[in-house]
Amino acid sequence: MFDFIGSMVFQIQGTSRLLVDIAMYFGLFVIVAMALNFQYGNAGVPNMGCAVQVIIGGFTVSALTTRLTFFIIQSAGVQLKPYASNFDWVYNNQYNVAVMTNPYIESHPMLGVALLLFSIAVALVLGACIGWLIALPAIRLRSTYLMITLITMADASQIFGRNIPGITGGTLGMFVPNVFAWYPGDRAVILAVVTLLIGIISFFVFRTMLNSPYGRLMRAIRENDVTVGSVGKNVVGIRRNILMFASGITAIAGVLIAFYYSFVVDNAFQRADWTYWPWLMLILGGPGNNAGTFLGCALIIALRRIIIVNKWLFERFLFFPISYFENILLGVLLILVIMFKPRGLIPEKLLYIPGISYSRLVREEVKVDWRETGRTKTKRSLFGLRGKKEGDDTT
Amino acid sequence: MVAIPTLWMNAITYSSMITILSIGFTLTYLTAKIPNFAHGTYAGVGIYVGWTLSKIFGLSPYYGFPLSFVLGGGLSVLLYILIISVITRLGGGAVVLTISTLAIQILLEALITIYVYWVRDIYGTYGMGFMLKEYDFKIAGYQGIFPVSFLICCIVVLVLHILLTRTRIGIAMRATAEDPQLASVLGINIDMIQKMSWFLTGGLACLAGAMYPLWFQSYPKSGSSIMTSIMAGSLLGGFDNIYGAIIGGFGVGLSEILLTAWLQNVVDPGIGRWRPLLPMIILVGVLLLEPQGLAGVYRRIRSSKMGERIFTKRVKGGVASV
Repeated sequence: MFDFIGSMVFQIQGTSRLLVDIAMYFGLFVIVAMALNFQYGNAGVPNMGCAVQVIIGGFTVSALTTRLTFFIIQSAGVQLKPYASNFDWVYNNQYNVAVMTNPYIESHPMLGVALLLFSIAVALVLGACIGWLIALPAIRLRSTYLMITLITMADASQIFGRNIPGITGGTLGMFVPNVFAWYPGDRAVILAVVTLLIGIISFFVFRTMLNSPYGRLMRAIRENDVTVGSVGKNVVGIRRNILMFASGITAIAGVLIAFYYSFVVDNAFQRADWTYWPWLMLILGGPGNNAGTFLGCALIIALRRIIIVNKWLFERFLFFPISYFENILLGVLLILVIMFKPRGLIPEKLLYIPGISYSRLVREEVKVDWRETGRTKTKRSLFGLRGKKEGDDTT
Repeated sequence: MVAIPTLWMNAITYSSMITILSIGFTLTYLTAKIPNFAHGTYAGVGIYVGWTLSKIFGLSPYYGFPLSFVLGGGLSVLLYILIISVITRLGGGAVVLTISTLAIQILLEALITIYVYWVRDIYGTYGMGFMLKEYDFKIAGYQGIFPVSFLICCIVVLVLHILLTRTRIGIAMRATAEDPQLASVLGINIDMIQKMSWFLTGGLACLAGAMYPLWFQSYPKSGSSIMTSIMAGSLLGGFDNIYGAIIGGFGVGLSEILLTAWLQNVVDPGIGRWRPLLPMIILVGVLLLEPQGLAGVYRRIRSSKMGERIFTKRVKGGVASV
């Protein structure tokens, strides 16, 4: 079963291939779904524009990383075909990437690693910028307006990708350098490992943020933004920050999918794939709960990949392409989950707050003598946001 | 007789459809308080009603208009009973309801495509991209759909106006939109009114969809692809104002075709590929400048000093507001 660890390119077949595929897609979607959980499940920002942020990651690889690679390799003395004009950029792309760049990266592993890190860093920054930009029109308004704007933006980003050849070669798409050309085994395996690693890192980042005072503030905004605004918090600013941060993380998934396909085209980033499926995973697993997101993601990805890989089996009985059956599955599952399991498979739990035990807090509250209000004595507040003076409130 | 340029016919036909769809979108938002993203896909159902009638049964696609109105209305009420009302009763918020409409959109679109594949297998008729222009009749040298669509748009606007201001049902509908609890206290059957409004919106959307293939290239996704224009028209009109949706829908439809054509003449013919971006620009512009849309602008002008002078008239013994 685990015969793929050191295998050569194209040597992986059958079930092992399916496992690698599922691992890769699980890693990708868990990043997107966890970022979505961060936004919707914990802060109540209904981000319907995950596809925009993923597409920014893909565009970063095709437009910036590829150009940078060509520039570095040309400076190192490799004779590339011209790539300055739009026509050359598209026409010579395959030769430049497959014949010239990939062998160079094969002999220079550090360049590949540096390019991967560069792409991730740039995608993080660009994703945050795009998050700010797409949130600009509607972040102050009701969540309905935000949803409408973000859904529209997903289409807009595809139009930009399709019509500007400098980004992804227009409708033709672009090959991107294989940053793992130096790896002796199968590229998919190491990429799956890297993706899962990034997924785990982002899980810990999100968990730390959720268990911090800021995470409690996010939950307070989700429950009642008017109250939070009335105690002097900048609700709009916090919402925007959350959207920007999660956008940056989502863009990393775009980078990884670009390297997995070795090809970027705007049509690969459909709204259905990169917005609706993560939403389904989130709602199935239970919003506001990272464990639930993991579970929902694993279930859905396994289901989808097994259907896609075995589609010849199903298409014998069907008169239409299996992808439409997949869409029906998505729609029906989403509606059924919303109806019958609105809190998801794993419902949300109280946050774990390090260093604070609720039972001890309650005991202390009881011990406090309310007649001593004249004296000022600092007491630890319930949420640990700030030590508050006891004499402040007159109750 | 003055010949009407094809461009204008194109623009008016398109904006009539967008207007009908925008009115329906706004009506759903008023009564159910959610943006129904499946609204454009109802139009997709209407498109394939016309296609089935003309390609398989050999009838004129105009017979599809009443049929699609009833069918779309029935479909919409069915979806309301099966999905929306159940989720509302179980306590789903606005965001969850909106996501369920997205799920409905995906489901309906997939079902339409599967229907097209099924018809291809049974009858050998290709329906992935088609037009029904040759099934249209001619009035004085014009394609029949051009006057008919404009006429239907005007009739819809007029009937809705009379319905919402003169009849008991329409007033009950408006009361439900304003405050459901208060309306139910007054003895209005809210569930019935909701079903009525969903029937109306679904039927109107499907009717607009039945007109679409008579002038434009249609494919299973075209219903969903005009969703952005519908939302832009509705937002331009103010999102909670049916009269605003009329102006907004016409504005978006006209600008989408006329502005693109004008820019193609003036700047560069290649600018036509950016046309899908136009409703998005309108949408974002409206949200940035005046989130209440034209209704908000109207309200602002009315409350200003100059507006008071224009909109109030002196009557005997005091000032009356118009």
